[in-house]
Amino acid sequence: MALLLWGIFGVDMNVWLDAFLRLQIVVIVMTVTVMGLIYIERKFVGRIQMRLGPMRTGPYGTLQSIADALKLLTKEDIRPATADFWLFELAPYVTFVPVFMTLLVLPFMEGWFVRDLQLGLFYIVAISGVTVIGYLMAGWASDNKYALLGAVRSAAQLISYELPLVLGVLAVSMVAGSLNLNDIVIQQDTVPNLVLQPLPFLILLTAVLAELSRRPFDIPIGESELVGGPWVEYSGIRWSIIFALTEYAGLWAFSIIGALVFLGGWEWPFGTRDFWGDFDFVYQLVLVFSKSFLLILTMMWISATFPRLRIDQLMAFCWKILLPFGFLQVIINGIVLTYVEDSETARDIVLFLTSGALVVAMAYVIYLATRQPSREERVGAALAARSAQ
Amino acid sequence: MIGVLRSLTATMATMMRKPVTIEYPSKHRKVPERDRAFPILLWDFEVDEPFCTGCHACERACPVECMTVTMKDNPKHAEGKSKRRKILDEFYIDYGRCMRCNICVEVCNFDAIAMNNTWTGHELSSVDRKDLVMDREQLLALSKSKQIRPWVPS
Repeated sequence: MALLLWGIFGVDMNVWLDAFLRLQIVVIVMTVTVMGLIYIERKFVGRIQMRLGPMRTGPYGTLQSIADALKLLTKEDIRPATADFWLFELAPYVTFVPVFMTLLVLPFMEGWFVRDLQLGLFYIVAISGVTVIGYLMAGWASDNKYALLGAVRSAAQLISYELPLVLGVLAVSMVAGSLNLNDIVIQQDTVPNLVLQPLPFLILLTAVLAELSRRPFDIPIGESELVGGPWVEYSGIRWSIIFALTEYAGLWAFSIIGALVFLGGWEWPFGTRDFWGDFDFVYQLVLVFSKSFLLILTMMWISATFPRLRIDQLMAFCWKILLPFGFLQVIINGIVLTYVEDSETARDIVLFLTSGALVVAMAYVIYLATRQPSREERVGAALAARSAQ
Repeated sequence: MIGVLRSLTATMATMMRKPVTIEYPSKHRKVPERDRAFPILLWDFEVDEPFCTGCHACERACPVECMTVTMKDNPKHAEGKSKRRKILDEFYIDYGRCMRCNICVEVCNFDAIAMNNTWTGHELSSVDRKDLVMDREQLLALSKSKQIRPWVPS
């Protein structure tokens, strides 16, 4: 590891102090990134809608997030008189803490964690499932029918999409042979997992969009029907914790996970590494962050493109398409990893071919499910129905 | 499935296009030549006096009675420099009352009044309504400074 960070963390330090300092760094980076992400999203979506996005606050609107944060933090924190005090006050933290805890095991550089867990990926999957409790708490405690509806919807959605997420991650960890994120990245030093496992990548991308309640899957939030989902009654600092921090920190955390697990983290795609010697952490940071930002932009792009799904479409897509194909991928991976023992290359090729075939199969199934009958077919059916009478 | 990919390319293509937003208070779109803001008076640069003779035609035609005109003998006519016997003395238009109907421009026999077709005619917000009553000098200022290409119906 680099000299610089060795100087800070390599010295024999108290374990708790060390963890505390690392946490501080993660928190600061997270806050700055969240502010940047809000600005980037507003600009990006603005451009997609042929607008400019924020332009007035600072040069090209760069200070917009800071102005928003100031505004939100100084606003009055209102609690409805009929709200359940403890549940209402604690719900934002219950939603935020899991997202924050996922950041603890992410290696931003080679071997740089807050804490190195051998079961890192498992821990992330387990901990991110807690978020739904915060949603339910908020919805129940608000004493508002829209909030409760939103909470129940988000419970249904988050629990459903948890499963494809787990399966996608599981398939990759089978290939990597480890649940430690550091090991998973090192395993990708020649070929990123995106090439070996395209189907889990697509499943993970969809499931993450749903887990974060982003736009094609935002039925729990649903501004046009539920006014804002579980967060209707929140304001001021609590709302900013929920919305700004949880949503964007979650987006960032999941895209870092995606970058580490599928895009090869700090490894150059298909290339060599370690040519900067002691200062390799610079390009490692740049690579991890640029890969994760690529994913974030993809998710924003998807969010800005598609309209909201109906709840039955959402559930059908999860249970009828993502979940069976996730299981298939896991089973096929098991078979391939057990029986293809010739060489690393042969194994990789077989993995790529099977997963690619599954992607094609999934695309075909979606095509069949969503296909509208053509005009000729509709006219033919109508004529057949008439002649049958 | 194909529609999904097509819509993704559609949004990306839109992103590559130039935004249509014009940042209004700092940047102005070009105003059309026949834009009708508020009426202003025009300046005759040949004899260095207003075109307006104070004939009251516009004042009488004005449906909302926002104008006040007074007339006087033209001193330059006595000197032989100008063909106008009478010239306007005072001219007031209450922009708070004017409804920009263009009738004053149409009835004017001397093409002495025109609608302001620049942005100065649109950005007139003020704290006091009295500030919207324009006098002779204010009405002539734009034409005198040659910042306007007046559009007068012929």
